[in-house]
Amino acid sequence: MNINKIRNDFPFFTKNKGYIYFDNACQSLRPQSVMDSMNYYYTNLSACGGRSMHALSAQTTKLFEKVREKVAKFINAKSPHEIIFTRNTTESINLVARSIGLEKGDVVLTTDKEHNSNLVIWQLLEKQIGIKRKIVHSNDDGTFSFENYKEAFDENVKLVSMVFTSNLDGVTIPAKEIVSHAHKKNALVMLDGAQTAPHTKINVSDLDVDFLAFSGHKMLGPTGTGILYGKRKLLEKLNPFLVGGDTVSKTTYSSHEFLDVPERFEAGLQDYAGILGLGAAIDYLLGISIKNIYDHEIKLTTYLQSKIDNISNLHVIGPKDPKLRGGITSFYVDNVDHHKIALTLDSMNKIAVRSGQHCVHSWFDANKIKGSVRVSFYLYNTFEEVDSFINSLKKVINVLL
Amino acid sequence: MFCILAFFILAILGIFSATHRELAKEAFKCVTKRVTFRPCDTGFKDKMQSHIVGTLITKSLPLAKFVNKNFELLSWIFFLTTIASIFWAGNGIYNFYIYGNCNGLVASGFCAFDPTGENNKSSSISSYCVAENIKQNNVSIENVDLSVFPTHNEQAENKIVFIGCYNCDYTRKAYPVVKKLLLENPNISYTFAHYPVKAETLYLLPIGYCAYKSDKEKYWQLNDILFGNSKEKNANPEEVDKILSELGYNLSDIKACTQSQETKKAIMKQRIELEKTGIYGTPLVFVNEVGLVGPKPYRVYNFMLNGIWEIKINKK
Repeated sequence: MNINKIRNDFPFFTKNKGYIYFDNACQSLRPQSVMDSMNYYYTNLSACGGRSMHALSAQTTKLFEKVREKVAKFINAKSPHEIIFTRNTTESINLVARSIGLEKGDVVLTTDKEHNSNLVIWQLLEKQIGIKRKIVHSNDDGTFSFENYKEAFDENVKLVSMVFTSNLDGVTIPAKEIVSHAHKKNALVMLDGAQTAPHTKINVSDLDVDFLAFSGHKMLGPTGTGILYGKRKLLEKLNPFLVGGDTVSKTTYSSHEFLDVPERFEAGLQDYAGILGLGAAIDYLLGISIKNIYDHEIKLTTYLQSKIDNISNLHVIGPKDPKLRGGITSFYVDNVDHHKIALTLDSMNKIAVRSGQHCVHSWFDANKIKGSVRVSFYLYNTFEEVDSFINSLKKVINVLL
Repeated sequence: MFCILAFFILAILGIFSATHRELAKEAFKCVTKRVTFRPCDTGFKDKMQSHIVGTLITKSLPLAKFVNKNFELLSWIFFLTTIASIFWAGNGIYNFYIYGNCNGLVASGFCAFDPTGENNKSSSISSYCVAENIKQNNVSIENVDLSVFPTHNEQAENKIVFIGCYNCDYTRKAYPVVKKLLLENPNISYTFAHYPVKAETLYLLPIGYCAYKSDKEKYWQLNDILFGNSKEKNANPEEVDKILSELGYNLSDIKACTQSQETKKAIMKQRIELEKTGIYGTPLVFVNEVGLVGPKPYRVYNFMLNGIWEIKINKK
């Protein structure tokens, strides 16, 4: 992997010279090709896909559907019909939650490290229709506890909805085993793959997972692009979520006929430019290879870990082994405010990191930790940037402590 | 405390910069919360503190550490100094508006609104017409016998006493301003005293005394002409003789008068009385017994006549 060549593909680095971007778990930067694709749509097409009969519309539809094929291939789905475009992971999860037909007493099983996108909706359904929630607590080091999982599982579990890779500590759960176990117990599985898809090769067919939600903006794609993968036979059983234009084939004053999947779940005019950008992002990732990206991130995380091990009062959240944390390192320093660390790093040396509770308030509050600083790598980050970060961090802690 | 301080400073900076205007708005939100006894949860303080400390770390680690540890204390110190600065700046604006001098009545020192010090410059009586900033001093006409000087409308309640030198630049600058004041306020007792800080106009002292003694009305015309005349002509007795003749004075009588012992005594008496004022530069203009040295803007003299000045004096 030629990092310098990769960095040259990202206009961000020429527009923001010296900036160190370590907030990739929030969203990634974009290569020029993604912007070009979006620009191509607005400049050359600017048409409604799937409705009008003119050539521009046909071309838009063709390119849009081609991206669907790319996404299907990217996660090894059996058919493009199993790919639904949404705005983001949150919307994808909400779509399933609202459409799957959960009833009073049905249990949804989650982990204790869920992003609010896979927590709030279940809390809401708990109040609205009386579903029950069960939480699988992680091991002390943040890794998944299969024992706890089995213990929490009962015959009422209808859906296992879990974060595939935690945005808090980077830990990836053993999805295949979980899916296998759940299916044996007649439960469906949905994975929140927002932090997985950009960094790890996902094979939904091999995993046999029922639903997978992820976002484009964390994997070089535009903001406002999300994906829901679902097994076709399951998607066909889902109740409509958002309805209206482009979800129906025919309507009368008193009735309607829904389109087939996936169109029936894609209400209203789609974000064509965004989806074309997402297609370009996938092309770019595949060009580099997800495995290369993953290996690079692991090296960076391992290097970072070796450097921060020497900093006293600094605690890394999650397993000690950096290989188990992917590209994410969350840490806090005793008696130093995490926001101040992030703000000072930014002011001092233009280093962008995330601080706070990373939308996992529940875990932080339960563990009585105020918040953390999160460093998250991606393909364009370098060892020099890690060195610069470490030097700056040491100074900041010295001053703030 | 930091939010309030930041709001003050950023609001001022925001007049000139859009970036600071946004920050000022943020600081204002924080201030609003604080004054309504709610916690300032906007993160504004942390953001600003981190920005300041982050910038300092790149310059000096110990300094950054000191600022971070004492941020609240430093905020208080800066807040108080800002309040003091605002107060003094306001006082300076008030002084400039009322007295034509930021530093107050008969005060020296730099004034931002009058950077060249034009309103305070006077012709020093210790040497020839050299412009210099006035010194702290008190001038007064409390014990001065004004009856020895030419006076118009003597019985009027409001008084203006103008002490100046015909050939000094600052007196010449002040004269038309005072003249305008007299024209717009006819019921004023006006006294003029020539104080020749230039030797070339010393000879005008007896001429002025005699001209006034001879014809009071023509004397005021003579005065106007001398202030409107070029300095060279004022320095030339023959030119002044011409003026006297044109005004209808009898030159022989004037000459005889100027040579008389009575005139010399009167001039001496005038000089003694002028020294009692504590004069150190011209022009010195008293309005209702309070003196201003240097050529002030019209509004300053006007304020003095219209009572604002009196209020100030009464307080003293």
